[in-house]
Amino acid sequence: MTNWRSTIIPTWCPGCQDYVIYAGLQNTLTKLALDQDKTVIVYDIGCIGNMADFVKAWGIHSLHGRSVPTAVGIKLANPELNVIVIGGDGGIYGEGLSHLIAAARLNIDITVIVANNQLYSLTTGQSSPTTPKGIKTKSTPKGVESVPVVPLELIKAVNPEALAQHVSCAEPLKVNEAIEKAVKHQGFDLLDLDQLCVSFGKQLR
Amino acid sequence: MEKTWSVKIAGPAGTGIKSIGLLLAQILNESGYFLKDYSEYPSLVRGGHNTYQVTFSADEVYSVHKMVDIFVSLVPGHWQEHQKEFSKDTSVFADNDGKINLPLGEMCGQLGSTIYGNTISLGLICYLIDIDKDKAKIIVGKYFGEDSPNLDAFEAGWQWGENNCQKLAVDKGKNTKKMIIVDGNEATGWGLHKAGLDMFVAYPMTPATGVLHFLAKNQDEFKMKVVHPEDEIAVASIASGASMAGARTAVGTSGGGFALMTETISFDAQAGLGVVYFLSQRPGPATGMPTWTSQGDLLFAVHSGHGEFPKAVLAPGDQEEAFELGKLSLNLANKFDIPVIMLSDKNLSESSANTTDFEKEKEEKIESLKPKPGKGQKIKLYNSYEHNDEGFSIEEAEESKKVVELRLKKINEILKEMPKVNLFGSDRAKKIIVSWGSTKGAILEALKEMPNKEEFAFLQIRGMWPIDPKIGQIISAFSERILIENNAMAQLETLLKSQMTIDFTKRILKYDGRPFFPEEIKEALND
Repeated sequence: MTNWRSTIIPTWCPGCQDYVIYAGLQNTLTKLALDQDKTVIVYDIGCIGNMADFVKAWGIHSLHGRSVPTAVGIKLANPELNVIVIGGDGGIYGEGLSHLIAAARLNIDITVIVANNQLYSLTTGQSSPTTPKGIKTKSTPKGVESVPVVPLELIKAVNPEALAQHVSCAEPLKVNEAIEKAVKHQGFDLLDLDQLCVSFGKQLR
Repeated sequence: MEKTWSVKIAGPAGTGIKSIGLLLAQILNESGYFLKDYSEYPSLVRGGHNTYQVTFSADEVYSVHKMVDIFVSLVPGHWQEHQKEFSKDTSVFADNDGKINLPLGEMCGQLGSTIYGNTISLGLICYLIDIDKDKAKIIVGKYFGEDSPNLDAFEAGWQWGENNCQKLAVDKGKNTKKMIIVDGNEATGWGLHKAGLDMFVAYPMTPATGVLHFLAKNQDEFKMKVVHPEDEIAVASIASGASMAGARTAVGTSGGGFALMTETISFDAQAGLGVVYFLSQRPGPATGMPTWTSQGDLLFAVHSGHGEFPKAVLAPGDQEEAFELGKLSLNLANKFDIPVIMLSDKNLSESSANTTDFEKEKEEKIESLKPKPGKGQKIKLYNSYEHNDEGFSIEEAEESKKVVELRLKKINEILKEMPKVNLFGSDRAKKIIVSWGSTKGAILEALKEMPNKEEFAFLQIRGMWPIDPKIGQIISAFSERILIENNAMAQLETLLKSQMTIDFTKRILKYDGRPFFPEEIKEALND
């Protein structure tokens, strides 16, 4: 059985739901027995992106917001590779939103998994594109003024053929199933994983 | 030395100036002449004032001239702003507009459409410079179609010339080597292709777009992929991802697009991914003057990207060098797994010359040794964080210091592979001209014609970064040192002074969006 773990112990906060995503990905890669030499994971910058150090697979730990176009480049250069993006709501829905839309329109066969905790947590808790209107954060002490991005509706609007899923990290088995379905899907797919930040997300409970 | 001749055609956008310009260049090429061309146009699609000019000779020519021998205004009102380019011998043709009266409107009327003014003018020009008519008509027929009324238009222009003008005393072309007509962008595309380019990624931006068009058109024949994504940030990121997956990759843009790519230049250097950034300069800041020329991004290119890291910046001076350095850029990017920037400008990118047939040149390919997925190699993470050998993030003091030093050690190795300077003229000359990029042509053309040319040597720098510190000794050996740049802030001087002891006794700078013409350089040198 292929080992998909590096020797580095994950550094997420105790109780963080990033562990659920990490376990779900490990389970899926093992269950589907993907060719390790032909599997490339592109990580965005953010808490979930730190998974780069904890996985044994070809990878790019890209720049913040640029994981999706980087993955597009890999897939275009070598269509035989399985390409998976792991990022957060800040990188994928904020800094890199136009790239997400472009990749969905292209219907390129990559999987984008987003740990959506509605916050910028690696930078200690500022509002993100999915923070609900009115929520107070360190960067929005008077409350968020924008309405949030709704990722599934957005993807369906730009490309009805794309697979878009939304699952809560509070249900780890469903996370496993959704990751498996996403990785198996031919064409573009987005998996939006709802989660709560244990360190900076009190106001979102 | 045979005389050089210059022809200029002017009129609004949409009157077919570019097509007959290219036809004229082709006819001259096939008649054994050497040529350089240049066109000016505003940033719009219809109307305005466009020009095409070509300078040719039976001997080698390095640049277009400012002064013209034949001028044609395709519609009335387009010669007036060019009066400084006319001498007493210039033949200026215009339709009932105070110059030699070429009745283009009336002749078009006889041919049944207003669109033939350009081809009529081409026929006249070919008559004046005594081209083999049958040869010219074959080229015109190939372009427009054998039964196109454009052939009648060409004939009408030629006949009008016979009835109204004397032929000019143009020496016959004598070059028999097969040459092709390419502009700097196409030459760059050929160079990248001959170094085994697998993927070209670009978002359109004048004056770099020609590379995108050329490679997109030829992608099947060249067995490569061309991608035009949502913005320049995606362009650079896609290129980095493709490079990681093992593709030989380049991108193309101008200053504004390059600004968006700089975070990725830094990423490439950190992760160890080779990508060529083709940067064709135009005047900034911001949108600036999109269709004009400048050498204003040298320091931007050299300093592009946050952090301290190795990169290479190369600057070809003409179409032949755009091919050579295009090839070298892609090989350097792959040999050292670094970002490589190739600097052009509007004057080189969009001007044509007749060159070696690049298609016949051999492919030269240096492979990257970095591990790639799918080839059974040891798995690696390509990381934007500081990292160890396997690619995992590190922050420890000793270890991070070591990897910084390891990365910077590449710089000396890169320097050994950079293109050498070109030194023209004698090293015993009294004065040295120092320049870079597309000013090469105007400087060589000026020196060709100067009676006191033995006084001058000319140093053309092509490896801009890392820069050879020995350049300082070469320059300092001359008693007068003259800097020529197509920018306002003498950026090459700043760059040289940051790396070596050097001073210039004279600076010739031009920053009005126009390239240098040899006449201006002659005058400034003798000033």
